[in-house]
Amino acid sequence: MEQNVRRVISILFVLFGVFSVIYALYLDIFDKDAGGRGILLIGGIFIIILGTYLLPSKKHTTIINVLFLLPLLAAFAITVIIPFICGIFYSFTNWNGIKFTEFVGLANYIEMFSSPDYLYSLLITFIFTILNMLSVNLAAFALALLCTSKVRGRNFYRAAFFLPNLIGGIVLGYVWQFIFNKVFTSFIAGSLSMLTDPNLALAAILIVSTWQYAGYIMMIYVTGLQGVPKDIIEASGVDGASGFKSLIKIKVPMIANTFTVCIFLTLVNSFKQFDLNFAITNGAPSRILGMKAIASTEFLALNIYNTAIAKNQYAQGQTKAVVFFIILAIVSLTQVSIGKKKEVEL
Amino acid sequence: MKSKLLVMILAGTMAFTTLTGCGSGTQTAGESSAGAEVQTNKAEAGTEEVSASGEAIRIVNGKIEIDEPLKAFAKAYQEKTGQEVVIESLGGGVDINGTLKGYLAAGNMPDIFVFGGEGDYQTWKEYMTDLSGEEWASQTDFGFKSEDGKVVGFPYAVEGYGITYNKNVLEAAGIDPASLVTYDAYKNAFETIDSKKEELGLTAVCSVAAESGQMYWSTGNHLFGYYLSAGLERGDDKYIDMLKEGSIDNDRLGQFADFIGMLFDYSDQSTLVSGTYDDQLALWAQGKTAFITQGNWIDPSLPDYNVEFDCGIAPLAFSKEEISGVLADCPSWWSVYNNGKNTDACKAFLNELATSEEGQKCLVIDCGMISPYETCTVTPTTPLAVSLKTYVDAGNTYSWGWTKMPEGIAMNSTGAVFELYAKDEIDKDTFVAMMGTAIADYVK
Repeated sequence: MEQNVRRVISILFVLFGVFSVIYALYLDIFDKDAGGRGILLIGGIFIIILGTYLLPSKKHTTIINVLFLLPLLAAFAITVIIPFICGIFYSFTNWNGIKFTEFVGLANYIEMFSSPDYLYSLLITFIFTILNMLSVNLAAFALALLCTSKVRGRNFYRAAFFLPNLIGGIVLGYVWQFIFNKVFTSFIAGSLSMLTDPNLALAAILIVSTWQYAGYIMMIYVTGLQGVPKDIIEASGVDGASGFKSLIKIKVPMIANTFTVCIFLTLVNSFKQFDLNFAITNGAPSRILGMKAIASTEFLALNIYNTAIAKNQYAQGQTKAVVFFIILAIVSLTQVSIGKKKEVEL
Repeated sequence: MKSKLLVMILAGTMAFTTLTGCGSGTQTAGESSAGAEVQTNKAEAGTEEVSASGEAIRIVNGKIEIDEPLKAFAKAYQEKTGQEVVIESLGGGVDINGTLKGYLAAGNMPDIFVFGGEGDYQTWKEYMTDLSGEEWASQTDFGFKSEDGKVVGFPYAVEGYGITYNKNVLEAAGIDPASLVTYDAYKNAFETIDSKKEELGLTAVCSVAAESGQMYWSTGNHLFGYYLSAGLERGDDKYIDMLKEGSIDNDRLGQFADFIGMLFDYSDQSTLVSGTYDDQLALWAQGKTAFITQGNWIDPSLPDYNVEFDCGIAPLAFSKEEISGVLADCPSWWSVYNNGKNTDACKAFLNELATSEEGQKCLVIDCGMISPYETCTVTPTTPLAVSLKTYVDAGNTYSWGWTKMPEGIAMNSTGAVFELYAKDEIDKDTFVAMMGTAIADYVK
């Protein structure tokens, strides 16, 4: 008897809470100027929680578990899921950052793939990503070998190589811009800055990006290399393996999972490169393609930014961002699944 | 049972605190998110007895460099009338439009906000108040007018640019600045100065920067603005309208290209292709070049370089025919938010700023700008402002037609063509043709 009363009460609570939440949302979405809709919303949510808590059921423990997860789920939904869904939604409209007046269907997507500057941007981003991934990982692995060898002052090196990573990208970008424009040109007197040639400007961004990021990746490699058991290395030495051979045949396979992590990090980071790109070249110099002048170093992230902010085409920018996400997800998932297969279990 | 009770009490307290938190949050959201700046102003105001005419009005100003004088004026205004005015300045690379869009979405829109011309007007026009009936509106030609002729933008400064010259160098070379009104006069002047470069202590004749990543606004907007507006009456949008349809006047652009080509040839080459604004300015301000393609906004920077020479602004006269005026207009306007609670208080404040002597002093002397109002009696003191004012007073100015170009065109399209021309990768005819395709592609 008491069970049934409690059940009815708790269901009433839930219903009342749901109603109050819906009413609060209705007030907000249709812009009714009524005070207290915030209280209504939060109050409604609490009453729903209270109702489910009081509900007599065999699954009481599960309900409690879910309730305790709610703050986390809510935070995740508010900061990630909902904006993401909104973003996809806006990419089908003519949103201008304030409001939208009509649905345009796939028009944004069609326009995007038919604009040469975007396609060029896509291409140059892929080229940069591949080159940067190679250069960062090679440099980082070499530095890691140096820092785990018996060289004097290796702890100092470790800290020194890591340092550039602590400087913000924009500051770093402007400092390096000065170096390319002023310092290098005065070393090689009369020469023009690297940043005035499309190919050299890409190389310039590569240099700075490697310089900034290699130290960080090096730290991960160092950790990996230190995890390789000493006895195996010693055993290989006894068997007559040279240092180089034990590196290729033992250390590298042993730290394959470190490679997966590092390649994943550099891949994603290079693809998302924005701050250095923005500060060093901001898309310049221009390159002639056909009869068109195209910004030769405008990577995707910068292209999205310029579309939304400079051209004030928020919906178009949002569309590019959605595609950006899809490409990034495909590339990194493929890479991780390939990398995983090569890993050795200890 | 006891623990149940405890749970209930705890939950109740939590709910209660959350609710009260929300309650006060909705009331003060407007003020609290405006930042610490506002908070301090409020604190000051608390001691001074306000509430004469209700809530404070809040202004989002887009020129960070005039933040202090504006705040001083706002304070004086409050002492005089009891109306509190809060100045919130954005700038230094902040995306003002983006910030304002955020404010609007959060229900935190300021009572007066800044906007920068045609493109911004299209974005914000539904939120603007008609200001045609205001006293100041009849005293200026620079107010921003909507399509149906209503004044919706409050002008607070006039800026102008052209080819800014170092008067001392020109005198030493025997050139009269007033004669620089045609292509031939400039050609002659450039040649003369170039031949005397060493004795004049110059490294190059002109200081121009045309790199597309950071100087696109100077080339693609400012210089190109002369092609669009020079020699035309205010309100004559002939070349803008053509541009919006994706076409150009080949002949006029050809003349323009000739002039720009000459300008680039006589420029310091390293600054031209890779220099930043600072590099460009330093070169000229240190007396190493005779000309710079900037306007009166460099006035406040002159003391940083201890500039002692006299200077002025000449028109960028690209044509064989005479172009005697410079491009001068408002860089941005203030608009009154139409859903604000205090539109009358805002109008009163703008009137005071435009027509009272304190207001004029604040804009002209303290902010170092030129007043757009005919009734303004305060005269500027900085050299380029003085030079520009002679053009404005004589009515010898052209509008900033380039502000009506499609948004972002200089950054994303035409700036790149200027860069190629500066690097000599394309010749004059290719420049004209590429500008044509760049514009046609952009507007389609």
